[in-house]
Amino acid sequence: MIAYVIRRLLHTVLVVLGISLIVFFSIRLTGDPVSVMFAAGEPTKEAIAEVRSNLGLDEPLYVQYGIFLKGIFTFDFGKSFRSGMPVMELINERIGATLALALGGMAVAILIAFPVGILSAVKRDTAVDFFGRIFSLLGISFPNFWLGIMLILVFSVTLQWLPVSGFEGFKHLILPSITLGLILSGILARLVRSSMLEVMNQQYVSTAKSKGISEWKVIIKHAFRNALLPTVTFIGLQFGSLLGGTVIVEQIFSWPGVGRLIIDAINQRDYPVIQGGVIYLAIIMVLVNLIVDLSYTLIDPRVKVGGSKS
Amino acid sequence: MMKKWLSLISLIFSLMLVLAACSGGGEESSTNEKSDSRENPAKDRGNEIIIGVSGEPQNWDPIDTFLLDWSTIATSVFEGLVDRNLNLEIQPGLAESWEYLDDQTLQFKLRQGVQFHNGEPFNADAVKFTFDRLLGEEGQKGPQYSNYTSIDSVEVVDEYTATFHLNSPDPVLLTKLAGYGAVIVPPKYVQEHDDEFFNNNPVGTGPFKMTGYKRDQEIVLEKNPDYWKEGLPKLDKVTFKVIPEASTRLAELQTGNIDVMKRVEVAQAETVKNTSYLELIDVGTPTVYSLRFDPGQKLMDNKLVRQAINYAVDKQSIIDEILSGYGKQISTYQSELSFGNNPDLEPYPYDPEKAKELLAEAGVAEGTVLDVYIPGNDGNFKEITQAVAFYLEEVGLKMNINSVDNTTLISELIPNGKAGHMYRQGWGGWTLDFDNTAYLMYHEGEQWNPSFKDEKVEELLAAQRATVDQEERKKIFMELTELLYDLAPELNLYQAVDLYAANSRLENFQPPHDDRMRLEEVSVK
Repeated sequence: MIAYVIRRLLHTVLVVLGISLIVFFSIRLTGDPVSVMFAAGEPTKEAIAEVRSNLGLDEPLYVQYGIFLKGIFTFDFGKSFRSGMPVMELINERIGATLALALGGMAVAILIAFPVGILSAVKRDTAVDFFGRIFSLLGISFPNFWLGIMLILVFSVTLQWLPVSGFEGFKHLILPSITLGLILSGILARLVRSSMLEVMNQQYVSTAKSKGISEWKVIIKHAFRNALLPTVTFIGLQFGSLLGGTVIVEQIFSWPGVGRLIIDAINQRDYPVIQGGVIYLAIIMVLVNLIVDLSYTLIDPRVKVGGSKS
Repeated sequence: MMKKWLSLISLIFSLMLVLAACSGGGEESSTNEKSDSRENPAKDRGNEIIIGVSGEPQNWDPIDTFLLDWSTIATSVFEGLVDRNLNLEIQPGLAESWEYLDDQTLQFKLRQGVQFHNGEPFNADAVKFTFDRLLGEEGQKGPQYSNYTSIDSVEVVDEYTATFHLNSPDPVLLTKLAGYGAVIVPPKYVQEHDDEFFNNNPVGTGPFKMTGYKRDQEIVLEKNPDYWKEGLPKLDKVTFKVIPEASTRLAELQTGNIDVMKRVEVAQAETVKNTSYLELIDVGTPTVYSLRFDPGQKLMDNKLVRQAINYAVDKQSIIDEILSGYGKQISTYQSELSFGNNPDLEPYPYDPEKAKELLAEAGVAEGTVLDVYIPGNDGNFKEITQAVAFYLEEVGLKMNINSVDNTTLISELIPNGKAGHMYRQGWGGWTLDFDNTAYLMYHEGEQWNPSFKDEKVEELLAAQRATVDQEERKKIFMELTELLYDLAPELNLYQAVDLYAANSRLENFQPPHDDRMRLEEVSVK
């Protein structure tokens, strides 16, 4: 187990190195941060050259990359070109908001998808299943941009039940979480349904049923628990992408999260922030995947990590 | 059987969804009618206002940024020696008066009894410190430095007299001193704290002091009780909320959570107008938009072709149809707010026949394709470009429209002459003096002038820089604009109009031409 974790952590280092290369060079292919800094200024060529050299952008690329690499291992990504603040501080300020939103979205998705998926599977080919499947389809088809604005119009502007935007308290979390979670719940409900169906055809479920155990006990204890494995994998992977992929939701709801930080940084070509932000999210993503893999042992004791295959 | 049903109902559902999405506009107007009858949701806020803005600079040090978002908020915190009023006229700020001792020496008499928000006195030492900092090591790291390099040194004559020694005559220096980078900072405060602290905790002499700042969320300004303008400001508190998405900003305005919305989109204008407690205010800006020609490309090196394109496009129809009338035609690459604009020049009229004649004279074959580069993030401008393509097609030219990332367009494609035959460029000219625009656009070798070259233009550009006699400069600009009009280095489209929405409980709120909100006279009912 420990050997496995260590091996996986070493993989992480390789993944981060790979990502650092991609991020570093891809952002340098397009656009120049200094011209953006002068957005309203309309500078001369000399002024641009001057500022560029002050930011260290006139150093050879391998030197700049070396500085960045060193930063990764010391968790010091330098200072933002734009705000002059240390990148780590900018990220730490926001990671809470992003985590809250990702967890909120995940909670909404699970709360909706599990009941819908299980019911659909159990009542297969009945009206319940049918509406469950329509629901999944709807969830998948909503563009979250549209959904977010519609939710604001209905619940904030017309009914005035919930705040429009911002990050101040639990009430502020509701609409963004629904926007983020509803789409995911559509996909997740489908997955729960199909894994449940697969499991329910297994012999042990029939055996359990034939022993006279009550139907719901069979469903929850025997079927659902076994159907959970692929679902957990999916949730784990989705959680990573929720962290980085909340950008649109953050934008609509003026949510001060990491996604918006990175998007703003990309528009401003604020290299240190882009580099730091992407690496930070990449590390979180790899760690989440590791935790997901480890959690298999809890859900299904037959799975042993560190064995030939997991 | 079940499958069939399922697909049928799914189909109906998807159709409903599409319909719902398409009818978005209708839904909005029905909410308007409802909210119309509602009473003003912000009426009990008291003597403070909340303003919704699309962004903030993330750094309040005046020498570190050059962003409109900075100026919107920081104009209430900092002040310069000279200032502009809401009509953009230069007026005394922290200096009571000034005088040119000669072409290269400018003396300011300073206002007495002014204090910074931290209690430090404002005096000639503060002026010297500000410019030493701007022109020294610290300032050279930032984007403001290059605007003020004509200043050689600042001399403290006595406590309330400061003299600027220039290294060359600079006819636009006064307007630059009303600019962002020249606002006066408190010497002791800046020296006692580190750079990062001042970036986040700005202190100036302005009508409001910054008492709260949550990055990317909100900025709180409170009344400066010791402000030197008698009886001002009228408000106790102003909060700026950062709300990047325009539809969200509008929702916050409709629900009374904010009192002023900056950057109302043209499509939202009707909603604002239909709400009883909201007011829509439009204001012309210094920013102009053009499709600029790259004369380094074949065809575009021919003046006749450039003129033909100007005749071929019906600019007024584009403004009326796509911008709902919120735009103004321009004759050269500057707005009516710019010193040097020539009011006698009429924009090129819409005359497709004339365009065809000129193209024939230039020997341009029917169906010739022009490459156009525009930023992909500007939906309005994309529509405008498509309209331009339609008009050009009428005179036998085809347009190949390339939507690209805006930053790449500005920083890579245009400077390297890789932005096709025509490209979108917007320009504000922050000094509100045509010198800035004309010099950077038409002087050979400038960053955003890949290939335009004309000897007479160069001569006039140099001449207007050599004198501080504004009447004479005006004459030179009139000649220059006539010349540029004839040379047609761009297809001039329109001067941008900014839309603001304000709650009717506000009094005396007048939106700025130049994004710099001036709030000291604003009050609430």
